[in-house]
Amino acid sequence: MVNVENLNVKFGENHVIHDVNFIVNQGEIIGLFGISGAGKTTIVRVLTCQIEKKHWTGNVKVTDLSPAKKTNHSLILTNIGYVPQLELLNLYFDLSPIDNVEVFTSTYGKNKKEAIKIAKSLFKILDLPEDTWNKRVKHMSGGEKKRLSMAIGLIHRPSVLFLDEPTTGVDASKRYDILTYLKKLNQTLNTTMFIITHDLESALICDKAAILREGKLLEFDTPQKLISSLPSKGLVARFTVEHLNEKLIDYIKKFSAIKTLLRVGNEEIEVLMDDFEENLPKLIQYMIDNNIKINSMSKDFASFRRYFQIRIQEEEEKEKKFKDSEGD
Amino acid sequence: MMRLKKKSLRLNFEKFSNEITNLKMSILRIVKQVKKEFRLLWADKFNIMLAIVMPPLIIVMLGFTMTDDSNQMQSIPCIVVSYDSNTFINENDLVESKLDHYAIPYLNAVNKSDLLDLVRFYNATEEIYAMEQARNALISGSIKVILSIPVAFTEMLEWGLPGLIDCILDASNILYIQQSLNAVYDSIKIFINDTNLTPQFEVHGFEEFTIPEGYSSSFNSSIVMALSFMVFGIAFVLSILVIVQEKPIARLLLTPLKRSEILTSKYIAYMLVLLLQVTLLVITSLSMGLYLAGSILDLFIALFIIGFSGLALGVFISSQSKTKTQANQLFLAAYLVIILLSGIFIPIENMPSFLQFFAYVLPLSHGDPMIRGIITKGQHVFGMHFFWLFIISLILIIISFVIFRRRKYEV
Ligand SMILES: Nc1ncnc2c1ncn2[C@@H]1O[C@H](COP(=O)(O)OP(=O)(O)OP(=O)(O)O)[C@@H](O)[C@H]1O
Ligand SMILES: [Mg+2]
Repeated sequence: MVNVENLNVKFGENHVIHDVNFIVNQGEIIGLFGISGAGKTTIVRVLTCQIEKKHWTGNVKVTDLSPAKKTNHSLILTNIGYVPQLELLNLYFDLSPIDNVEVFTSTYGKNKKEAIKIAKSLFKILDLPEDTWNKRVKHMSGGEKKRLSMAIGLIHRPSVLFLDEPTTGVDASKRYDILTYLKKLNQTLNTTMFIITHDLESALICDKAAILREGKLLEFDTPQKLISSLPSKGLVARFTVEHLNEKLIDYIKKFSAIKTLLRVGNEEIEVLMDDFEENLPKLIQYMIDNNIKINSMSKDFASFRRYFQIRIQEEEEKEKKFKDSEGD
Repeated sequence: MMRLKKKSLRLNFEKFSNEITNLKMSILRIVKQVKKEFRLLWADKFNIMLAIVMPPLIIVMLGFTMTDDSNQMQSIPCIVVSYDSNTFINENDLVESKLDHYAIPYLNAVNKSDLLDLVRFYNATEEIYAMEQARNALISGSIKVILSIPVAFTEMLEWGLPGLIDCILDASNILYIQQSLNAVYDSIKIFINDTNLTPQFEVHGFEEFTIPEGYSSSFNSSIVMALSFMVFGIAFVLSILVIVQEKPIARLLLTPLKRSEILTSKYIAYMLVLLLQVTLLVITSLSMGLYLAGSILDLFIALFIIGFSGLALGVFISSQSKTKTQANQLFLAAYLVIILLSGIFIPIENMPSFLQFFAYVLPLSHGDPMIRGIITKGQHVFGMHFFWLFIISLILIIISFVIFRRRKYEV
């Protein structure tokens, strides 16, 4: 559905995307994760024909068409849908949802009656209350606007849908609703989806997660596989330690089996080890021997959030070492 | 007792110092906020500059345009037609006379006057169609006054009677009437000085431009003034926000829709609105009793092209404005300048030449004479003014397309 080979993006001297490769199949949900400035939006902008060819190189195909060719843009834009982060940029607030549907379907040259029928079925899937359909969009709630926005992105039955931060600015409970709706749409329509997000919880519905850092694609795989690539398949021990401080942490780190140690709260740490089951009792003994007071302890598999933190931290440490060795 | 008093004093003092601290905090917060406001204003440098610079600029322009000084005043172009050499037959004794030796001195007086610019002199005795040609010149606008020396001019003065000079004015624009009268009077004064004789003059409005019985001339003259800048102004103000205001354009561009299609459809939509508006204006004006010397179709087309230039300018401003405020400010500034230099309130001929240049570039200086010509003089719409309005609109539209094509949109 979407193929990206050796994608490089440069804005003048600013090399923003470095050698990115990935393949996306029909019906997959892809999460694009990365801290601010990683290049998520830039990649999507290449895929959606928003960046001039002079700024990028590589072999990119979206629904088997290359955005490099200007003559392909119309077709690509017909095959894809886009749900921007801000509803203000997406919806005509002074028009009704149905009118908005009309405005946008007309751009694809689609039949109006057909479009409204599709829209109504989408509205139903997304639980948009029927009494809002013909009232002005500006009177809708934030969550309703978001869902309307998603419906409009799908109005022309695109094979790929891009969503920019669909869950930001939505309160926690609604966030899961939105993710559920997206999954539902994905399953009923078999639409391929790209989700740009800071919300690591979104990985729940993603078939593949792409992790970007400073323009480089660090990982591209299913969240489960990524997590189980961690030491001991991602088993994590969590400790609450009394009077935790940096010195204590350095002390604990000295225990040789520890691969990664994360401070996750004021007095909380999480630890990843090789041969987890075998080393856990030894670690506990080590802490007791050194007068480190453990208030509580638990064992769990790492969440995607944890994985992401660990992976980024690892990359930062690698870079630091590289720089230090260069400095010598 | 003492202790209690002390305590309350201390309490009062505490309360007082508390309030002082509160006040201090409040002032501090306000100062910070004021600073923030200035930051925001500064972030919008262009707007604030425009707001500050524009009013004094307008006053400067008013100063330039409103000069009533006669030595700076442009002279009024005129034609003198003399019938004085024709044979005059006295009704009482049927004596014929052909005296005409005061015609030339008057002509010299006209020539001497700085307020009059003698374009041509016709001796009607030799040229039968003199008056015809003079009238044509008046209709075309190349002169503003016809001074006609009647057949008995010299005879009257010889006999000690006041000779009467006929003065035919272009009364279609009241701005010129007073000026023309001053000029004619100036020529008479010079003649009196030169010859010690006292002629008089009689003023006529050019009958072809005057309004027939049954029509209200004050209504006509105010409609003539108002129509052009109303049509222009409304089309202008309607279109200034058409691009800046529409946020979802960014999203529309992620559909197969082209930028040129977006802009073209805006022009079409607003042209339809304009069509409706012009139709309504023509209908109401006529039904309210406008006397229209020209044809309705000409008036309609003229109003449409004036509105169209307003629309083109509005879209142009919209296409290059970053915010709504900026568009509004530019609108106000542009509209004030355009009205000021339209020639409706101040004759363009009286402006300094660099302002004249601007005035002639701007659309309303062409809209006003065009409407005036059609309504009061029965002229046709297609001419220099129409052509210029068309060209200027076209240029604005082309620039708008270029700017809109480059405008940055990000979702
Ligand atoms: N048009 C441009 N010209 C120059 N630099 C750009 C341009 N667009 C993006 N960049 C740079 O590219 C880098 C990646 O930006 P991008 O918007 O893709 O990040 P992002 O991962 O989407 O971040 P965020 O999560 O904050 O949206 C940034 O350093 C940004 O400054
Ligand atoms: Mg982004």
